[in-house]
Amino acid sequence: MTYFADKQPLVADIFSRYPDSPQGRRSALMPLLREVQDAEGFVSELRMAEIASLCGTTATEVRSVMSFYSTYHTVPTGRYHLQVCSTLMCALKGSDELWDELVTQLDVQPGEVSPDGRFSVQKVECLGSCGTAPMMQINDDGYYENVGPAKCARILESLRHDLQPLPDNLVPVTITADGRQTLASGEVVGTSITGLTRLPEHAGGDV
Amino acid sequence: MKVVVDGVELDLPAGTSAIDAVFQSGGDVPYFCAHKYLSPVGACRMCLIESGSPRKNPDGTFVMEGEGDAATPKIFWFPKPMASCTMQATEGMHIRSAKTSEVVAKAQAGMMEFTLLNHPLDCPTCDKGGACELQDRAFEYGYGASRFGFDRRHADKHYPLSKYVILDQERCIHCKRCVRYFEEVPGQEVLDFIERGGHTFIDTEEGGLPTGFQGNITDICPVGALLDNVARFRGRNWEYDHTPTTCTLCPVGCSITVDARNGRLERIVAGENRDVNEAWICDAGRFGHSFASHDRLTVPLIRGADGQLHAADWDAAITAINRGLAGQNMDDLALYIGADSTLEEGLALESLAELTGTKHVDHWPRYEVNITAPAATLTDVATADLVVVIGADLGEEAPVLELRILEMLRGGLLPAEFDHGTAIADLRLIERPVRKPEKLVVIGQESGLWKHAGTRIPANGLSGLTRLATPDTDDLRAALKALEDAKAPVIILGADALNGASGSFASTVASLASRTGAKVMAIPAGPNSRGLAALNLVPRRGGLGYAQLAQAPAAFISRLDPGVKARGFTVVHDTHLTSTAQLADVVLPALTNYEKRGTTVNLEGRLLGLEQAALSSGEAADLIRTLSALAEALGVKAKVRGLRGAQTLAAAKFGLKLESVPPRGVIHPLPTATTAPTGQVHTPTLWTERMQVPRGDSARAEHINSLIGMELPMTAVQPGGDD
Repeated sequence: MTYFADKQPLVADIFSRYPDSPQGRRSALMPLLREVQDAEGFVSELRMAEIASLCGTTATEVRSVMSFYSTYHTVPTGRYHLQVCSTLMCALKGSDELWDELVTQLDVQPGEVSPDGRFSVQKVECLGSCGTAPMMQINDDGYYENVGPAKCARILESLRHDLQPLPDNLVPVTITADGRQTLASGEVVGTSITGLTRLPEHAGGDV
Repeated sequence: MKVVVDGVELDLPAGTSAIDAVFQSGGDVPYFCAHKYLSPVGACRMCLIESGSPRKNPDGTFVMEGEGDAATPKIFWFPKPMASCTMQATEGMHIRSAKTSEVVAKAQAGMMEFTLLNHPLDCPTCDKGGACELQDRAFEYGYGASRFGFDRRHADKHYPLSKYVILDQERCIHCKRCVRYFEEVPGQEVLDFIERGGHTFIDTEEGGLPTGFQGNITDICPVGALLDNVARFRGRNWEYDHTPTTCTLCPVGCSITVDARNGRLERIVAGENRDVNEAWICDAGRFGHSFASHDRLTVPLIRGADGQLHAADWDAAITAINRGLAGQNMDDLALYIGADSTLEEGLALESLAELTGTKHVDHWPRYEVNITAPAATLTDVATADLVVVIGADLGEEAPVLELRILEMLRGGLLPAEFDHGTAIADLRLIERPVRKPEKLVVIGQESGLWKHAGTRIPANGLSGLTRLATPDTDDLRAALKALEDAKAPVIILGADALNGASGSFASTVASLASRTGAKVMAIPAGPNSRGLAALNLVPRRGGLGYAQLAQAPAAFISRLDPGVKARGFTVVHDTHLTSTAQLADVVLPALTNYEKRGTTVNLEGRLLGLEQAALSSGEAADLIRTLSALAEALGVKAKVRGLRGAQTLAAAKFGLKLESVPPRGVIHPLPTATTAPTGQVHTPTLWTERMQVPRGDSARAEHINSLIGMELPMTAVQPGGDD
């Protein structure tokens, strides 16, 4: 059973973003992987071979590219894929305790899915939210920050009832044409190349 | 271009890489990832050098250093050592290698320490020991100590990538040579890095490596990560007798090194011959050698009164032949030899045939056509701008020719040559090269080359060439037009086109070649068919060809296995007790081509020398000595009784200097080939039956399989241990 057989418009759309050449076709590898992963939670060997034939490359290369990114999974993930940042800042603020809590409560280890199909866990490298450590991300939905024992228990309880609490910060951050960043909620953050805020006049004397 | 290396000024051609500049100066740089025929990528970071260049002012003058006449352009040095394999030497560049720079020496020792961080110190058990670049370079350039006191990473050992190649993931140092080889040389992207950072390993997702040219990665692996499964655990590098010689399984004539130990042929590795096989050989040439040391005939056999073959000595064999042929005319004895016999052996046979006056002389396999069009060399093929392959299955006929065609498709860039040999890093070779399939036209049946060709035209037998000469479809018209437009085209003719071809075929080829300016490479049927055909070794008028062997009154058959005997007395000279040998009246033990001195002629017409490897073969003799014995049995005195005699005869008859063939071979015009009808069709098969399975050796195959699944006895991991 192929995944893309009945999705020709989607495939055509993905390929239209790249030059119409053998090299261009190979560039479409990542969005195709993302498409499968979003739909099925992981990319099986069957899908790797399918994507390879679509891109005109070999399954080995698909696996090579895919295995370079920890966001692609070769094993099935649960409906809620909990990713705990384990890099230094979070580690200092107790990500190990958070991790222990998760694997104990859910009784899953990396690569496993809980029997009810809900949960899988993964330690990931820096998610870039050191100020709110320890933190975790659920699927691609957003950041759950300052996750202490109580917050962790609250989140797991709601997930067990399939009520996913809103994340503290939504990702991804999109960037508009003028370079302005907006959160998924629509809130404008940061600055842009056209609308630079004027810095205060330099107060001191000669530098 | 002037470049200063370690204080010595060199004059180098533009485009030279810094690593070649250092080697050209007589210096040395350690490297693992660079390879002569692969793109340089700078993956191992071992080939570090310090380099600096002069810089120009805005007005075009050099920034100078010093006063007055003593002023010289100021050299601006890079702030840190650089990888020399990916750096191009430029005008006025200064390079310092470890010989003159302490910075470089220290950086290389540090890099060595880093490379060995996770590399297991398996040297006492690793089969690469004694030929391991990592081991040698660690000794020459390392500190001899490590500051990393933690346990090494552990990964899969004995991980089979295929039946022939075993991967040891722990030993891999990620030089990427094997990945680049598969991508760039046979054009099969079946290996790649999986995972990233400290966990990276090499693997395939295709369920194994493709057969054809997979063995080459065991040669180019600079450590013991990829090992030849046929030779694994058979001997250590210093125990082998290395004999550089020529492979005679197909007409390409690749340079190989035969490694023998205790008289057994244990391993074959590729040799370098820029003009023929570059540095690659096919899997049959590398892994199909076990027959040379298996079930060999070591003594003559004579059929006794009981109808069975009995071991005997040569004297008894000669007497038996003499008795068997008594009462028969000398010219009744038909002489047939295999087409992988050497030129010298062919000359000895020819002189014996002259002596006995027999009309029944033949060699097999051969075709009955003599192509007179200008002959193409393998370098011509690699640098052609259009190649038309007609009726050839190169995988069976001449595998390495396929690699040279693929080389043509990716631009035909042959690495430059220096005093130290082929350029170590030719910067024109790039990763994932753009291939131009429109430069290849394949006419014939589907084969391995089919998928690489821009134009594919199905055709059968002789029709391919005639249809190209007088095109009847748009595809063929386009192919002919391309051939006419091309500046240096090459036409390759294979078995399907040459079987049954006659004089009219040869004239069609000649006229097509002269009309289009193409050179022609007609792949000979046998490894030395081209040489033997030049010696008149075909049936004389009224003579019986090899196909009529069964009608011959008596026959001497050397290293051919037709499965039938002659009408009368039959002598078989072979390395193994073949089905024909089992029918023979006298069986004489023969030498394989691995144990012979002599000369063969490859598909280009290049004379290539054979050398004698130290294999034990009992009382086996080559064809020249066997023919002298046969002459003795016939009661005549052979003119050629040894290699020297044959070479003298070659010099006298054809002006060939066979005793001084250079290691890379030499193209020498051969006498016009003689032809005669063959009466049978030749189907090329590279892997003969006896090469496929190491016969009588299933125990060893099982042993290897048990090793693949083996867990090494590991002691418990000790945190913070110092290994």
